[in-house]
Amino acid sequence: MGQFLQFTINGLMSGAIYALIAVGLVSVFKATRVVNFAHGYLIMFGAYFYFTFAVLVPQMPFAPEWLQSWRPEWMLAMRADLPMFSPMAAVLDWMANLPRILLGLAGALVCNALLGLLIERALMRPLMGQSVFAMIMLTVGLISILSGAAQLIWTSDAEFVPALAPNTPIRFEMFGANIFLFGADLANMAIALLIFLGIVAMVRYTKSGVAIRATAEDQSTAYSMGISVPTVFSRAWVLASTTGAIAGAILATRNGISPALGLFGFSVLAIVLMGGLDSYLGVFIAAMAVGVLEALTQWKLGGEWAGIVPYVAVLIVILIRPHGLLGSKEIERI
Amino acid sequence: MITGNLKTSYRADEQVLNNRWKRGFVLAAIAGLAAIPLFGNNYIVLIACQMGIMLIAVTGVNVVIGYTGLMSLGHAAFVAIGAYATVIFHNAAGGVIPESLLTLVAIPFAVVVSALAGIIVGLPSLRVKGLYLAVATLSANFIVIFLIEEQLFAPWTGGMNGINTPTANLLGWELSTRRELFWLIAVLAVLALLAAQNLFRTRVGRAFIAIRDRDYSAEILGISLYRYKLMSFAISAAYCGLAGALFAYFYARILPEQFDLHLSLMLVAAIIVGGMGRTMGAVYGVIIIVMVPEVIKVVFGALAGGGAELAMIRAPIQEIAFGALIVGFLLFEPFGINQIIDRALRALNRWPFARG
Repeated sequence: MGQFLQFTINGLMSGAIYALIAVGLVSVFKATRVVNFAHGYLIMFGAYFYFTFAVLVPQMPFAPEWLQSWRPEWMLAMRADLPMFSPMAAVLDWMANLPRILLGLAGALVCNALLGLLIERALMRPLMGQSVFAMIMLTVGLISILSGAAQLIWTSDAEFVPALAPNTPIRFEMFGANIFLFGADLANMAIALLIFLGIVAMVRYTKSGVAIRATAEDQSTAYSMGISVPTVFSRAWVLASTTGAIAGAILATRNGISPALGLFGFSVLAIVLMGGLDSYLGVFIAAMAVGVLEALTQWKLGGEWAGIVPYVAVLIVILIRPHGLLGSKEIERI
Repeated sequence: MITGNLKTSYRADEQVLNNRWKRGFVLAAIAGLAAIPLFGNNYIVLIACQMGIMLIAVTGVNVVIGYTGLMSLGHAAFVAIGAYATVIFHNAAGGVIPESLLTLVAIPFAVVVSALAGIIVGLPSLRVKGLYLAVATLSANFIVIFLIEEQLFAPWTGGMNGINTPTANLLGWELSTRRELFWLIAVLAVLALLAAQNLFRTRVGRAFIAIRDRDYSAEILGISLYRYKLMSFAISAAYCGLAGALFAYFYARILPEQFDLHLSLMLVAAIIVGGMGRTMGAVYGVIIIVMVPEVIKVVFGALAGGGAELAMIRAPIQEIAFGALIVGFLLFEPFGINQIIDRALRALNRWPFARG
């Protein structure tokens, strides 16, 4: 029972990150009717940008001392009195990294937003009004371009990147079982969930969110009602690439940076289809379910089986409910 | 100037190659292929073999994507199944069936196994289409590769480390060199192409095209979607299984990672570059997809002269070029090279009159 709880909680934590990645895919699909097969590679770029701004830039000769490691007097004084492995020490270690974490996040957000804009403007917009097949295949071609470009730009081996939150171990008891968590994982989950909720709220309540929903409903009607559909497109892409940047930064701190990060996007694609392409709630449920199932598979069958859980799950769900758990059924005219 | 495709008998109208230009082209192509192993050097034979294997697989992908309009991103799985079925069959039936007949049985076996796998993977196509199908086939690809890599089946598949492949043997003629194997590959590739061309003048092929153009209308016309969609998957998987069997004979060792997503994307890219839903599209696409990395390799070799630094950026450049091909063709020439060649031939035909 204790193990079961532990793995379920681990699963929920990775499920939250799946949800964060999925939100980008859903937003782009809602606005443009295109599913971005290269989303995993956008995440990879986010991770590499975070690595660049949080690790490489502070090491450069022109970077000030405090960027690399911020240690004011009061912090050193506090640090000196603390025993080893105390939670406070972990928080202080994190604070020392805070400037470069913030720089890394800001850099990743800005660069990835520009990348998303570039892709939308240069590649997707010329295909506006053409068949969806062409647009989707274009994102498939983008997979190779992005993965090759990442190998060209970042040839150095990926190093350790600073975690987004203090990495204190947390132990507590729940239903008589000992649960062991890392603070950074918990914070990542909180960040992911907050952003997810924020985007859902934005799509529901703000003006630009309404524009996205209107475009999703009917592109040409939205156009004739005075909504600038191209702007909606680029907004959706920026939204996807910025959430991808944060997800990339989180994944970089969890699993390290490697070109394999791009493959992560495919499992999220499976999750998105499982939840229903245009339903935030369905995708959220699917992400959490797959996260938990993966963790439980890892526990019972071993790590390598966990990798195919999303794919098996999506096949089963699609066969029973062709439009995913909560996706809306497409109505076709002949 | 050809002014029309005039026929005097039904028989002439029903032929696969329905005018003398097509017949001449096919005969010339066969003569050209025969010249490769007789006069070409080892490098040319190697590239030609690779192209032949790819061509069979791409023709299969063309059946399902180009003609039936079902999007599949998982056809590498069928190539993998064909390759592994061949190797496993050789290992299992090695003592039972005489060596000289083994290849002749193993290839049809691989084709049938792949076709059956195609029917299973095609099952989602009855419920979903378009994007959902693309992801379902993509998932199937991941799952097949995973099963091949899985420890449980390692005694048969060799697991992650791959498995050594047998040599093809046609009635005692051992195809131990690539030059000899080229004959087998070339004959099968030409037959596969002609069979594909033939398919689309039959009831089945026309049903595929009807499904591609509008599936509901096809159903109203009395075409059973259930039957023909599965048949399309089975036929294309059979082609890919044949390619897989040749793949196994061609390489000394096969590894599961040779059949991952990258191969699936390559097959789809070839069909996009060449031209979807056209028999020759597969040919042009394969030539480009195989040649572009080679050209980059040659150019880099000439530039670097073996420099390690340039060699390191070669692989990413090849990958970028591959993606750029897909993107460029989708943006600027969505019907592929076939369209360019059609335009050129039309201009030539009408010269010196109106072009275009």
